[in-house]
Amino acid sequence: MAAHIKKQEIARSGGPAEVWSSLAAVARRPEAGSLLGLIVVYVFFAVLGGYTFLGLTGWSSWLNMAAEIGIIALPVGLLMIAGDLDISVGAVLPASSLTVAIISGYYDMPDYVGIAAGLTIGLAVGLINGLLVTFTRIPSLIITIGTMFVVMGLSLGFTIMIKGSTGVFIIPDPFTKSLLGTAMGGMFRVGILWWLAFIVVLYYFLHLSPWGNWVFAFGGDRESARNAGIPTKKLTLQLYMLSGFSAAFVGVMQVIANGSAQVAAGSSFIFNSIMCVVIGGVLLTGGAGSVIGIVVGTMTFAIVNQGIFYSGLDPNFGSIIIGALLLVAVMSNDKFRSLALSFTVKKEVRAQT
Amino acid sequence: MKSMKTVLLAAIAGTAFAMSGFVATAKAEGAKIFVIGGKADDPFWSIVKRGAEDAGKVVAAQGGSVTWLAPQNYDNLGVDAAELIRQAIAQGATAVVGPDWVPDAMDPAFKAVVDAKIPLVIYNAGGLEAADRLHAMNYVGAVDYLGGVAGGEYLAKAGNKDGVCINSLPGAANIEAYCKGFVDGMTKAGGKAAVLPLPATAEGNVTAVSQAIKAYLVEHPTVNAVFTTANLDAIGSVQGIAEAGKAGAVKVCGINFDEGILAQISAGTQACAIDQQGYQQGYYAVSILNGYVNYGLSIPTREILTGPGVVDATNIASTMVGAKQGTR
Repeated sequence: MAAHIKKQEIARSGGPAEVWSSLAAVARRPEAGSLLGLIVVYVFFAVLGGYTFLGLTGWSSWLNMAAEIGIIALPVGLLMIAGDLDISVGAVLPASSLTVAIISGYYDMPDYVGIAAGLTIGLAVGLINGLLVTFTRIPSLIITIGTMFVVMGLSLGFTIMIKGSTGVFIIPDPFTKSLLGTAMGGMFRVGILWWLAFIVVLYYFLHLSPWGNWVFAFGGDRESARNAGIPTKKLTLQLYMLSGFSAAFVGVMQVIANGSAQVAAGSSFIFNSIMCVVIGGVLLTGGAGSVIGIVVGTMTFAIVNQGIFYSGLDPNFGSIIIGALLLVAVMSNDKFRSLALSFTVKKEVRAQT
Repeated sequence: MKSMKTVLLAAIAGTAFAMSGFVATAKAEGAKIFVIGGKADDPFWSIVKRGAEDAGKVVAAQGGSVTWLAPQNYDNLGVDAAELIRQAIAQGATAVVGPDWVPDAMDPAFKAVVDAKIPLVIYNAGGLEAADRLHAMNYVGAVDYLGGVAGGEYLAKAGNKDGVCINSLPGAANIEAYCKGFVDGMTKAGGKAAVLPLPATAEGNVTAVSQAIKAYLVEHPTVNAVFTTANLDAIGSVQGIAEAGKAGAVKVCGINFDEGILAQISAGTQACAIDQQGYQQGYYAVSILNGYVNYGLSIPTREILTGPGVVDATNIASTMVGAKQGTR
């Protein structure tokens, strides 16, 4: 009864138009469309996959995969919001793994020395990317493809020179393993917690600190951003160092978890991370996107990838399903955004007449 | 059939005769052996290359040289490798070693080698069938299919009779042959097996591979044997099995190995590794050609099989010594 009255009151005070406009405000948020995509994809695989997919095993499957891609997708997404790309993450990841394994495995130094060196490599590649992007007129896509090949070549050359083969191995001490490479409850990898930490920190920087406004402004209109006094060169350096660091961090986690670093690993992270970012509603042209959106996009991507194995669908057609569902997610995302935006326009027109 | 053999022998004898004048001139400078192989950053091919280079020390001591030619990537393998074979001829090779990865694309190039009276050894891929078809001197290598069979039989005889082969590169002929061999090996020993293809988004990503295998094992609770065709997949399998709560119950066997795999075998988390002994492939292919070009020596045994060898708990110690030195 009380609820009934309340509903009537709302209807009397604001009318349905107000409810709709507040819903539209939610829908206009950049991550709303990707959230819808996530729900569609999750329901699709929940129906096919049943209890195992809905249970802890299913959750651990896609969360474990999402955590690693997510840590890389976040800074790549920030770069894309700022209007740039970073392809070199696919080479930084194995370079960092190999550095850790060579220093702490092959030369048997303490784990923290190897890890520090691995992360430094990521920062250094990021710095070089940032400097090249800032001081040349070459598009960042081309520059980071270039640095990717250089880093790949260095990894291969030095690994062969030092080790004589392309795989390097390490037995991490138990403390390092528990911090970076263990599975909680035998199922949920500790990387999920690290991903959470990355999400919290980057959410603060992008959405709560003035630094975030700079990123959006830079992606929206470079000239104006520079004229407005935003330190655009410093900003570019920071963004590239962040993505280098994150890729190196995932490399560190992988080598600690696997005990093995291979020259040929990591390249699938390039397209995977960009896909997660785009599904998450970041505009390829820059200037729009959100941390929550990128997280949702990463979850969608991981659910599609792992869902196939729970669904009973023929895994031979797995790639088709991944491709098709990703396209559907992005399209529903775009459609949803334009619908939400058109609603605003209509309302304004009505208000004027 | 008999007449075919006679023709073949005559052809070989003819080639040898035609070569003899050539051999005399080549002796002074030694053999210029060109080896077509996989990328140097490929864990397996770096070992084959090491074998070829070690044999190359003898070639160099006799005044010759060994040159390794590899494609930049595997995206267009057949065409790129055929181009490398033609490069070898153009650069004045006196002997050529090559794998017959993609016969349709590469056979014309191999025929050009034989037509130019350059002795040829097929290794690693193609089998004796390719060597016969191309009039090559010999085939040095393992038979992929037999490697799969060995893995299937090993696991089924150990009592794990319900298997799955992880195919992380669907469409690649050698991986398909491994998996087919595994399924046949399991079936022959009284078990059964299926093939699980992985999407390209999981390539080179151990976490993605391990989660896929975990999902498969949970969805197929009777499966108790996993067969892998790549080193990183074997590491991912062991993690996936542990995360599915099936450590000990599900056994893993894989094609090829490295120190990481050997650590798994000595820790007991992986049952066995099937070895095609890549070092031997590079080493013997180069040695056979060097002896022939310099001194007319031959190896009458046709089809030099370098595998399948099984690495398990019984021979893990000596295998680990070789692995430390980059020869296994």
